[in-house]
Amino acid sequence: MVKQTLDIVLNPLATLGRYSRLLFHAFGAVAELSIYRKNLWEQMVKSGVDSIPIVCMAAGFSGAVSTVQTAYQLVTPLIPRSTIGAIVVPSMILELGAVVTGFILAGRVGARIAAELGTMRVTEQIDALESMGLNSIGYLIVPRVLAGIIMFPVLYVAACFVGIGSGMLIGDLGGFVPAEEFLVGAREFFQPFDPIFGVIKSIVFGFLITSISCFKGYYTQGGAEGVGRSTTQAAVASCVFLLLADLVLAATLL
Amino acid sequence: MISVTKVNKSFNDKHVLKDVSVDIPEGETIAIIGRSGSGKSVLMKHLIGLLSPDSGTVTVDGIDINAITYAELRRVRRNFGVLFQGGALFDSMNSFENVAFPLRTFTEMGEPEIEDVVKRCLAMVELEDVGAKLPSELSGGMQKRVALARAVALQPRYIIYDEPTSGLDPETSNTIDELIRNLADQLNVTSIVVTHDMHSVLNIADRAAFIYEGRMHWTGTIDELHRSDDQVLKAFVTANEYKIGLS
Amino acid sequence: MKFSNEIKVGLTIIVATVIFILGVRYFEDLPLFDSTYDLVAEFDNAGGLIGGNIVRVNGVVVGSVEDVYISEATGKVMVEFHVDPNIPVTEGTYATITGFDALGVVRMDLVLGPADGPKIPEGGMIAAGTGGDLMSDLTAQAPEMLEDVSSVVDQLNGVLAETNAMLSAPDSDFRQTLTAARGSVEQIEGLLASERDRIASILSNTDSLTADLNASLGEDGEAVAALIAQMEETMATLNEDLERFQETNEQLNELLQKLNNGEGTLGLLINDSSMYHRMDSTLSGLNGLIADFQSNPGRYLKEMKIVDLF
Repeated sequence: MVKQTLDIVLNPLATLGRYSRLLFHAFGAVAELSIYRKNLWEQMVKSGVDSIPIVCMAAGFSGAVSTVQTAYQLVTPLIPRSTIGAIVVPSMILELGAVVTGFILAGRVGARIAAELGTMRVTEQIDALESMGLNSIGYLIVPRVLAGIIMFPVLYVAACFVGIGSGMLIGDLGGFVPAEEFLVGAREFFQPFDPIFGVIKSIVFGFLITSISCFKGYYTQGGAEGVGRSTTQAAVASCVFLLLADLVLAATLL
Repeated sequence: MISVTKVNKSFNDKHVLKDVSVDIPEGETIAIIGRSGSGKSVLMKHLIGLLSPDSGTVTVDGIDINAITYAELRRVRRNFGVLFQGGALFDSMNSFENVAFPLRTFTEMGEPEIEDVVKRCLAMVELEDVGAKLPSELSGGMQKRVALARAVALQPRYIIYDEPTSGLDPETSNTIDELIRNLADQLNVTSIVVTHDMHSVLNIADRAAFIYEGRMHWTGTIDELHRSDDQVLKAFVTANEYKIGLS
Repeated sequence: MKFSNEIKVGLTIIVATVIFILGVRYFEDLPLFDSTYDLVAEFDNAGGLIGGNIVRVNGVVVGSVEDVYISEATGKVMVEFHVDPNIPVTEGTYATITGFDALGVVRMDLVLGPADGPKIPEGGMIAAGTGGDLMSDLTAQAPEMLEDVSSVVDQLNGVLAETNAMLSAPDSDFRQTLTAARGSVEQIEGLLASERDRIASILSNTDSLTADLNASLGEDGEAVAALIAQMEETMATLNEDLERFQETNEQLNELLQKLNNGEGTLGLLINDSSMYHRMDSTLSGLNGLIADFQSNPGRYLKEMKIVDLF
């Protein structure tokens, strides 16, 4: 009983310790990046470029939905219609752009990374890399995490662009607010720090999702079933820590 | 020359290796035999520092591989070629790229030269035509042969085989055994074969080391193995011969 | 055609960077490619102005506020802003802060100097103009209006008291003045009726004023000055009305004098109590309206309250 209670406290700490150690090794291996440069490009395409369509789709829908719902809630004729733009655009830039991107990529990129590394672990491919004299952390993890840090802000920009665009389009086509008024509202309430905050957020999300997924995948145990477990855990843990980081960032930076 | 001295290793509460000592002289082919779960694979992973012992030392060419930095350890590992149980081919690369991978990573060779070496390695395992195929398109035996080609691409001084014949039909097993023997003869490498397949041990090994319940129970040449009257060893060998007789 | 990974990634990053920079510049109201024209204005009170708020000239958006901070040297509010370089910001230009802080719609208006004057150089200082904000004007005006209304009520109360005193005096002679009194009462009734219309029209004026206010709040702080002018007009109308009441008062006084000098009999008045009742009910109705207006000005002014607006 005492041991179980102790485990509840100690297990997360032990996990955090192993995660930190993995990151520490990864940072140590950044210097060897030139050897793994090809991997970095490959990961940037896989995690970044290839994710653009799905991220744009999700952002497009969330932008459109924001517009429709804001219009639905603004029934008072006293409030000008441009308010819709003033609400949709900052919420896209501040929150939705980064979080929608994050969630989509936790599923798409996080799960892929965990499954890839998990399979490599259980089929001894990681051991094979190590036995050749390669730094498996440098070879496998550093390019993935770096690709996340570099490409997530890019995807965030794409998400905001498409989200705001679709919000504006739906507002105009649906007769809620003409595009010009939408933009007037957006410009009036625009805070220059908002997009910077969004980029910071997406960098943090990119780091969290990729590093957590790498951690889960790299330490997979127990064959095909273990790979499945790691994949699920990676996606779930990424989402949870993404929300946590979202709150922490909002509380500290805003 | 690899020497393992009094190595102990536990996982959680399970004591897997108990005071294991073995010397692997240069140029020999040594078979590490024992039942499944006896600790053979764990011992194998200690040889290249994938696992580090709780106590005891592993030295390669006089260097204690657990007392050196990771960068130095990786330099030591480049003397090894390892054939893993399932081949452990990188499944994102085709066969050619798998074999070329260590060459591209660790040598300054130009692309034509690499192509030359890869072709030679694939020819050695009699798989010249599969270069463009992905590992998933190959049979288990072919995967192992490509993996062997990859293991020898950098001309290592030591080759470790982890269960090279497990899961293969007897004919393919014989082909692999033959390859191992040829490699030992042609390249003059030190081979460490971790196996429970006595047939293959008798085919290829100069010496055998028998692990029983985590301890190094018996070591000696193949001749000595035949003459030994150790009951546990005899039981293990006989069980295998019975299986060979059946198949 | 197959592109290498490097090309794909590079292209994506470049496109994203361009979109990011242009997008931010667009939303910041900066010209997408041109350089900007930066200026500083000094105020005693920023009135809730913050970076990102728009800057207008004659109601046209021409730029936006960059930063608002308190000067360490003078303790005044410094507002850094930029405008379209083509705007002739000449010497004599002054800036005002308008709009509602509570709504978050604060903006800075520039009133340009003479067009032929020298242009203020980049980074130059612009003086603060005197621009009232709407709510403070309204709150300043409201007590005056209430005072006026209550003086009317006081006067009316006086009239009523005198009338009562006159009616209860036992020796006054009513008979001869009855005809005159009837005529007077009719006059009073007519007057009151017309005044009721006038009060109604005042209220409807107030209504339309509120509508104007709503409209101006909705889109534009510009109409504030006009609105206040309109308020002043309303006040003037009220004053006129007061003068009229005073006239009525004088007429009533004459009537009282006649009654006091009286040649008629009180008995007739008592027998014919309908006149008294009519007058009494009319007056008490008016009294009620005024008392209500006095005790409950919110009902008539309520649309002007910002909390009720939103």
